[in-house]
Amino acid sequence: MPPPGGTPPPHPPPDGGWGWVVVGAAFISIGFSYAFPKAVTVFFKEIQLLFNTTYSEIAWISSTMLAVMYAGGPISSVLVNKYGSRPVVMVGGLLCCLGMVSASYSTNVVELYFTMGLICGLGLAFNLQPALTIIGKYFYKKRPVANGLAMAGSPVFLSTLAPFNQYLFNTYGWKGSFMILGGLLLNCCVAGSLMRPVEPKASTESKNKVGVRETDCSMKKRQKKLSVWEEINKYLDFSLFKHRGFLIYLSGNVIMFLGFFAPVIFLAPYAKDKGIDEYSAAFLLSVMAFVDMFARPTVGLIANSKLIRPRIQYFFSFAVMFTGICHLLCALAEDYTSLVVYAVFFGLGFGSVSSVLFETLMDLVGAQRFSSAVGLVTVVECCPVLLGPPLAGKLVDETGQYKYMYLACGAIVVLASVWLLIGNAANYRLLAREKKKSIHTKESQETEPLKTSQSPSVNIKSGKNEEWKGAEVNSSERETNI
Amino acid sequence: MRALQGLRGPRAPSLPLLLLCFLAALRRSLEHGLSTAAPFKSLPVQEEMMTKYSNLSLESHNISVTAAPFTSLPVQEEMMTKSSNLSLESHSISMTAAPFTSLPVQEEMMTKSSNLSLESHSISMTAMPIKENNKGNQICVDRGIMLQRNVTLEHSNMPVEKNITLERPSNVELICQFTPSGDLNSVNVTWKKGDKLLEDNYLVNATGGTLYTQHRVAVINSKQMGSYSCFFGEKKQQRGTFNLKVPEINGQNKPLITYLGDSVVLMCKCQDCLPLNWTWYGGNGSVQVPIGVPVNDKYVISGKHANETRLKITQLSEDDQGTYLCHAIFELGESEGHVKLVVLSYLVPLKVFCAIAAEVVLLVAAILLFEMYTQKKKKPSDDGKEFEQGEQLKLDDSNGIENSGPRHRKNESVGQ
Repeated sequence: MPPPGGTPPPHPPPDGGWGWVVVGAAFISIGFSYAFPKAVTVFFKEIQLLFNTTYSEIAWISSTMLAVMYAGGPISSVLVNKYGSRPVVMVGGLLCCLGMVSASYSTNVVELYFTMGLICGLGLAFNLQPALTIIGKYFYKKRPVANGLAMAGSPVFLSTLAPFNQYLFNTYGWKGSFMILGGLLLNCCVAGSLMRPVEPKASTESKNKVGVRETDCSMKKRQKKLSVWEEINKYLDFSLFKHRGFLIYLSGNVIMFLGFFAPVIFLAPYAKDKGIDEYSAAFLLSVMAFVDMFARPTVGLIANSKLIRPRIQYFFSFAVMFTGICHLLCALAEDYTSLVVYAVFFGLGFGSVSSVLFETLMDLVGAQRFSSAVGLVTVVECCPVLLGPPLAGKLVDETGQYKYMYLACGAIVVLASVWLLIGNAANYRLLAREKKKSIHTKESQETEPLKTSQSPSVNIKSGKNEEWKGAEVNSSERETNI
Repeated sequence: MRALQGLRGPRAPSLPLLLLCFLAALRRSLEHGLSTAAPFKSLPVQEEMMTKYSNLSLESHNISVTAAPFTSLPVQEEMMTKSSNLSLESHSISMTAAPFTSLPVQEEMMTKSSNLSLESHSISMTAMPIKENNKGNQICVDRGIMLQRNVTLEHSNMPVEKNITLERPSNVELICQFTPSGDLNSVNVTWKKGDKLLEDNYLVNATGGTLYTQHRVAVINSKQMGSYSCFFGEKKQQRGTFNLKVPEINGQNKPLITYLGDSVVLMCKCQDCLPLNWTWYGGNGSVQVPIGVPVNDKYVISGKHANETRLKITQLSEDDQGTYLCHAIFELGESEGHVKLVVLSYLVPLKVFCAIAAEVVLLVAAILLFEMYTQKKKKPSDDGKEFEQGEQLKLDDSNGIENSGPRHRKNESVGQ
């Protein structure tokens, strides 16, 4: 079990070596998690015919899968906190396989909701969370690059899964395809097996033994004071809701996701509405996915630079603002060329936001509390992600034009970016002030023994890992300044 | 997928009508919005708009087929409005050929009202001067008639044709319009149905420099369906053809894959037609056996709307494989669509699944074994490191982060 937030990790992140293999494994897990719910829509037409339902009833399968994937976040976080990433991802892969294989035997829509939606969605949740968490454990200095590379899995998998699913459908029909897809999802287990835990258990045990010997009396006292609340916090850190940075991030993201996904979903119908033929409209989505694919690692690299990394929250806000402005300008698009330009810029914006989405959260709460944080964030984000597209669809139905929907989405996203910008500017300033205070108090307490669990690295001794320690101050101080 | 565009023509539907159609189109496009595919095809099709009101019986239908540059004849069918109460049908086709073809044809319009449903269709052929093309066929510009010495219009691969779909008995009026640049009176006008020359029932009119000919057909049953052609001139005949057909039925283009013991639903649909009756035929090879005649559990024929039919087959077996035909019977004839069914055994995807599962198990085992192997290698050296770290921790009293050297020194100085 990792120590509670506020202490630096007992083992520094390797920042390389096996870490890059773990990035590849996370690439697979994240790719399946985000791309799978969207890619299965290829099968829906035939299933709808067979089960004699309306299309919206079938489309709910995809939404249920996405909802469970997001809502399963906290469960996933608890399990990761207890057992580490590897077993959770492997269980997730098995669950996904089970869900899809049993879906191939289903005879009505409700069974599909249960097998595909619930079981498979839970399996995907067990893939997404741990993959993000383990990147934080393996990387610090190069974390933005690692995050960008891992998140690039989503567009890559989407662009390969969609035509692959079409091929499977033509060759095996929907039943056979579901079975084969279940087999494919087993590859998540392979990804999971690559996610080696960072700290070898032996060293932690020896350190703990030493720590126990030294702080024996204080530990005994602390154990008596552990309340129910703290027990729960061991599994899922609810104290994050008092964390200023976390709250800013959460509120900004909730607003943003309301208007984030709808433009993607409605891009093809919007193009067809303008008179563009079906294949060119589908091509727009491919353009977007292609740009997205390359934008994510590139933006990860940019975010890693010395200039941007300390101000990564601002960078995130600007990326969100860029996307919002893209949506606003899309309303002006009239012909195919302008839509292609929009798709390119939107791909860029979408990619840059997704790339630093979890990096900023890690930056705010630190790698220790990240697993709980991401669980809580996804369960809260579940609502806007699910409500956004239907609301947008309603807006289109009411006004009869896609233009207003794009303007509304753009406005919402720009609003979110402004809120994030202001919030984070205030947060940075308050943190700087608190840091100064703590330096002054620490200087006055220099003679006291260094037993306390406060950040020990305020007085930076070694010039070597300045970035790590300097930022360590920032992150740990952010954690401590609740 | 339908896209919305403004109508060109004498009648434009009202705004609520447009909205209604748009909503219907939107719902369908919303459904397909999530799929991403980028296939490469050479012939994009644009179907522009169709609105339909049953009361006013106003139908506007707009099709433009734009072919890739290497095909020779793009066809634009512009408008067709149909009103069953007023029995008004206006149908217009304009065929504009690609720049290197020689004969653009414009079919313009007609509207007429009567009690019986009357349809009038017209093709107009206007000859246009063309520049010299690569084949070396020369054109006499001053005469204004397309003259291709080597190629006559009949041999050219650009038939001037129009397809008309008819469902109900109606009076059809076919109009051909021709603008010769020579003497009007020297042009001979004839009509043919198929190969048979028609003697009566047509009028010839000359106005300005254009020759109009009009042929009325009372279409009551399938005997009157077929192709009607108007001919101008003797030697170099210009010809326009109207093909009167019943609506086409769309089955499924790709074969349906199903498994033994499964159920499947086959669907046939036509765009906007109301057949009198639907029947299904199944056949292995050439023998067409009607389905559902002895009513049993295995086959269930149903259909949510009049323009579609569904055949549900349960308990599939290998014998059920093959092509199924759905027959739509109209007053004016019959039409059919094909659906191909393939029945596989469960072993086929199961084999693939097992192959993938085996690969996964192998990889996981390999990775875990590799990890245990590398850890075993590290262990002897690890023990030594741990011992050192333990000593340092005792001295430092802090959580060990990388460089304990300088801190060690600092502690010593502090301790002292």
